[in-house]
Amino acid sequence: MLEALLGSRNSERVLIFLFAREEGYATEIARFFQTDLYGVQRKLDGLEVGGIVVSRKVGRTRLYTFNPTYPLLPPLKALLERAIAFYPEKEREALFLNRRRPRRRGKPQ
Amino acid sequence: MNQAELAAYVHSQLRQEGIDLVLSGGAAVSIYTSNRYISRDVDFVATGLASRAQIKRAMERLGFREVGRHYEHPDAKWFVEFPGGPPSVGTEPIAHIEEIHFATGTLRVISATDCVKDRLSAYYHWHDRQSLEQALLVAAERDIDVGEVRRWSEVEGKLDEFAKIEHELSRNSLRKPPHSV
Repeated sequence: MLEALLGSRNSERVLIFLFAREEGYATEIARFFQTDLYGVQRKLDGLEVGGIVVSRKVGRTRLYTFNPTYPLLPPLKALLERAIAFYPEKEREALFLNRRRPRRRGKPQ
Repeated sequence: MNQAELAAYVHSQLRQEGIDLVLSGGAAVSIYTSNRYISRDVDFVATGLASRAQIKRAMERLGFREVGRHYEHPDAKWFVEFPGGPPSVGTEPIAHIEEIHFATGTLRVISATDCVKDRLSAYYHWHDRQSLEQALLVAAERDIDVGEVRRWSEVEGKLDEFAKIEHELSRNSLRKPPHSV
């Protein structure tokens, strides 16, 4: 959808994922889109250098979110919101519906 | 060479190569507080359209080496960084830029009021207490426009947070010692 505009498919994937879920880590994003982890990591790195996303370590995982101080964040989010409306319903649901509430360790999946 | 002189040197040299920069971040706080706050890095934001590759070439000509996302020089104890994104404080463009002259060159720095906003932005969004302390230090040392900080805080949707610190900010801004850079 935004690939031509953003210059790469992974840029779109990373931004759409972070927009839908508000945060994410490279393995999670790559797994969701069934794509190469390195490409996603490289894109997250570039977006962080550009000040569009920020990251923090949570345990051994580097968690990314949008940078709330990025000046173009409101229009960027508006664009992503518009773009995601054109995604297939199944993919849209999968992006937005994910478990964030706690799950006790050892409980069957 | 101290931090401000180094910043002025890098700024002037890169400007000669057509790369326009403005000093922001902790180094601006150091300058405005006469080093009452010490920053280990020098953050420059590009105000023109210079690419990262152009900046890298210019820095290497000055003897700096890119290490990860910053630049190091064997004779300097400060890192130089070029954070991405347009020059802004929160969601607004930087309003005013000050020019300060040093023996090593001229340095363009975000204004003291924008410096306070820049620090408050980190405080508002990440609840970073150190950033608030830095904003208060700048307000204590320099003339800042508290009304402008209030207006900006409202634009950022942080008027409630501003209300909690307004008294402290205003009190600090009234207690001003004579200063020199």
